[in-house]
Amino acid sequence: MGEIKEYFKIALRNLKTRSLRSWLTILGIVIGIFLIISLLSLSEGIKEAINQQLETMGGDMIMVMPGSEENLMGMMMGGEVLEREDIMAIEKTKGVEDVLIMSYRGIVARYKEEAKMVFLTGLPWDQGLEILEKFQGWSLSEGRWPVPGKREIIVGKQWVIDIFKEKVRVDEEIVMKGIKFKVVGILNSLGNKSDDSNIYLDIGLYQDLTGEKRGSARVAMVKIEEGLSADKVAEDLKESLQKTRKRRFGEDTADFAVVTSEKIMGITNNVLGIIQSAIMFFASIAILVGGIGITNTMFTSIRERTREIGVMKAIGAKNSTVLTIFLIEAGIIGLVGGAGGIILGIICAKIIELYSQANPLFYFSVSVSPGLILFGLAFSLLVGCLSGFFPARQAAKLKPVEALRRYE
Amino acid sequence: MSGPIIKLENIWKVYQLGKVELSALRGVDLEITPGGFVSIMGPSGSGKSTLLNMIGALDFPTKGKVYLKGKDISLFSEDELSQLRGKTIGFVFQEFNILPNLTALENVMLPMVFQGVLSEERKKRAKKLLISVGLEDRIFHQPDELSVGERQRVAIARAFANDPELVIADEPTGNLDSLTGKKIMEILTDFHKKEGKTIVVVTHDSHIADYSEQIVNIKDGQIIINDKQAAEVLWAK
Repeated sequence: MGEIKEYFKIALRNLKTRSLRSWLTILGIVIGIFLIISLLSLSEGIKEAINQQLETMGGDMIMVMPGSEENLMGMMMGGEVLEREDIMAIEKTKGVEDVLIMSYRGIVARYKEEAKMVFLTGLPWDQGLEILEKFQGWSLSEGRWPVPGKREIIVGKQWVIDIFKEKVRVDEEIVMKGIKFKVVGILNSLGNKSDDSNIYLDIGLYQDLTGEKRGSARVAMVKIEEGLSADKVAEDLKESLQKTRKRRFGEDTADFAVVTSEKIMGITNNVLGIIQSAIMFFASIAILVGGIGITNTMFTSIRERTREIGVMKAIGAKNSTVLTIFLIEAGIIGLVGGAGGIILGIICAKIIELYSQANPLFYFSVSVSPGLILFGLAFSLLVGCLSGFFPARQAAKLKPVEALRRYE
Repeated sequence: MSGPIIKLENIWKVYQLGKVELSALRGVDLEITPGGFVSIMGPSGSGKSTLLNMIGALDFPTKGKVYLKGKDISLFSEDELSQLRGKTIGFVFQEFNILPNLTALENVMLPMVFQGVLSEERKKRAKKLLISVGLEDRIFHQPDELSVGERQRVAIARAFANDPELVIADEPTGNLDSLTGKKIMEILTDFHKKEGKTIVVVTHDSHIADYSEQIVNIKDGQIIINDKQAAEVLWAK
């Protein structure tokens, strides 16, 4: 044990003596680990945000949207809507207990002197409230629910925290497109910051305000009867929607996304999984280049120190001693690079998080788990040791007499 | 102590230089017995450095046997040999060869680290050795803060770190001015006289030979015992 301490000392001094070269080599690893940590913690945060949102949606719900299931993201942001007839078809489908339609879009909201882009959601207060309260756990922390047809809105919890510099209170007014709306209630947290940052308005008024067609909706949330299989009801829903379209509009290729909450979770996890794999792939290339940098530095260092190695062997150092000293050097380069990359990665992810939170359209927190940090450190140490192994072995195998003779 | 520390038996060392074979040592027999002060002398290219490598168990002969404390070194693994060499033999090089990143004290402690000597003990012994070579106020200095003579003294202190039976010095004064060289030789002689250490000095400086009790002359890879043999060597093919 005492010897290892000495070997560390020798390794550290060697790195310090060639500090510029050491730091440049470390930089190679910093960049790779930085990429891994920042991108993975961001994508992990996004994943958590989406999953939270889905959990809010409830387990036995089905979401119906116009458009292709394969293009879930495009569909969520796209312009297609469910027509009045589609909604009626959904309501009539067997196994459907309740339907909650809603529409949403980004809009500029002005409160006192400040204006910000926020999400506005239109909901039918008359029929939707029960589903919201019973199955999605909506409740008010202050005020009351809006009266349908009146220019009244409720806002999410985030509005009393930090959407605007000045906290929004019940009975205050928020202006959208020049029209004043009265805040009558504030929701308790819905479980994710994104939903907590929305404005909720009666769907009729929403359509008047945004110019969307009356009676249509962007999405329908379907509550199914208890005991039924969500997948079966989803099948039926799709069928009846397609029939309706064909009958009413003569469309043959109408496409609807009818997805259960489980399926959405699966899809998002899949998509993010692919993104994370891609991140890992590219970051690995960066780290590989960093590793080659370590190998190169170690080979150079060993060439320069051939005589030192010879002396150490002459005065009693075993092959394993020389190997250990050089592995420690390479390991330190890897580890310091890893630590630097982790710190920079976290800082970068936090900056992006702050930026995302300043802009309430999409809220998420980065997720830096201790596991990710440990992984980063262990991985960088491993890269360091692996990259240093061949040079270190070469050093260890040097014959003392040859090492002493060389560069005389 | 009984028996030689190092015994060379019909040692040949042949270097392959491209297609040409160069015999640096040609059938050398030599014994280094405990307590002696031996000078190995010869002109450049005579094979004295190769001989020193054999005595120091730093290299293996092409033919013949090297015995370190009665044991054939060709039977040792590299690690075992390193360990045994570190314990039995100390080295002083012409170029000092102290590690540039370590302080004087750390340099002297290094051979003891390799032998697994405990931290407190090695510090104590290293300090004592540095004091004995007159470097008490240079203990924590880095090599680049020391004069060449001081560096060589650190190297000598290091050579004696593991209390070896034999210390080999390869041209220890080769890079020093004559006054400093004289001091270095006095230190080596002191260790020999006071502690009964066996010293082997390789040199081509006849002044150094004045300190020694036995002189081994080498020429063209062979040891010359007397004038007659010297003539034979010179006329040999």
